[in-house]
Amino acid sequence: MNILQQLFGSKNSADTAKQRLRFVLIHDRAEIPPGLLDLIKDDIIAALSNRLPIDREGVTVHFDQQGNESRVLVDVPLLNANGRRRKAERPA
Amino acid sequence: MKSAVITVTSGKGGVGKTTCAANIGSALALLGKRVVLIDGDIGLRNLDIVMGLENRIVYDAVDFVEGRCRLRQALIRDKRAPELYLMPTAQTRDKSAINAQQMKHLCDELRSDFDYILIDSPAGIEHGFHTCLAPADRCLVVTNPEVSSVRDADRVIGLIEAAEKGPAHLIINRIVPARVRRQEMLSTEDIAEVLSTEIIGIVPEDENILVSTNRGHPVVMNGKSPAAQAFHEIARRITGEIVPFQPLRSSGSILQRLFGRA
Ligand SMILES: Nc1ncnc2c1ncn2[C@@H]1O[C@H](COP(=O)(O)OP(=O)(O)OP(=O)(O)O)[C@@H](O)[C@H]1O
Ligand SMILES: [Mg+2]
Repeated sequence: MNILQQLFGSKNSADTAKQRLRFVLIHDRAEIPPGLLDLIKDDIIAALSNRLPIDREGVTVHFDQQGNESRVLVDVPLLNANGRRRKAERPA
Repeated sequence: MKSAVITVTSGKGGVGKTTCAANIGSALALLGKRVVLIDGDIGLRNLDIVMGLENRIVYDAVDFVEGRCRLRQALIRDKRAPELYLMPTAQTRDKSAINAQQMKHLCDELRSDFDYILIDSPAGIEHGFHTCLAPADRCLVVTNPEVSSVRDADRVIGLIEAAEKGPAHLIINRIVPARVRRQEMLSTEDIAEVLSTEIIGIVPEDENILVSTNRGHPVVMNGKSPAAQAFHEIARRITGEIVPFQPLRSSGSILQRLFGRA
């Protein structure tokens, strides 16, 4: 979904339905309440922010299931010295 | 204001209980009432989806009843209205996880904080239905203009009266005015007459319902679709206001309506 679609809410509702459905099914099957991920996110932010310059807004926590393997995927972007999001170094 | 527990039920499945509960609850909250919606359909929860609050669930009504969380932790605040909350239920338990006594206790705990406690009952007339009926001060029976759902509504109305939870009020959902005019569909007058039950709302078939459910935005939250208008009127009638019944608008185009194909 691009920014324009987000702004004007023009993403078609069938796509939204599919995305929401996928999300609830993953959580129903794993018996993990979806809101738990937000609590885990808060815990991770609290634990890491003491030791690392993290971009709190950018932290994402996802639950993922492929076949019979389940995992929690955590992405924590770091800030650089000027407090900006640190970009991955590109090979020259 | 004294709180009221309102149970939304039907007998037959799939007639629109969850859709009605979500929209009427939201409409009451938009009127400034303090509202909590309780999902009474343990094991087949859907109210969270229709309200678009599914990703906020941490604890549910069964967790509260079984002592794993405090009441407040099982409530999800819906920020689209001043005082609107959802109490989801468990998806992976069965109907017997909460009994009638526990449901009454749950509602009593909520009474001091809310004007309206709406319970979305499961289909059927078994355990789950009786659990949701137990705390009710009043009942809304949802039916479609179609023989089998009216027959099942009659059975449910009888059970509501036997439990001294009556009189039940009727919501006729998914009316297609053009088909009533062509005499292909039971009219609201016919249904009220055979059930000898007072109608509190007539909700037209409305294609906006599907889109709003896809998105998790109840139709009453935005826009003036025919169903949204009907739900707003039901909410006002619930508060005691006398709202005359409007001639029904269909959601089809003017041409479709003229030619009776809405
Ligand atoms: N007025 C309406 N116009 C169009 N579609 C509607 C209307 N009311 C309900 N529906 C659709 O009918 C279907 C069943 O609705 P809903 O889930 O609210 O019924 P229910 O009585 O809660 O079902 P269950 O017995 O399974 O709990 C849904 O797909 C819903 O979007
Ligand atoms: Mg339902």
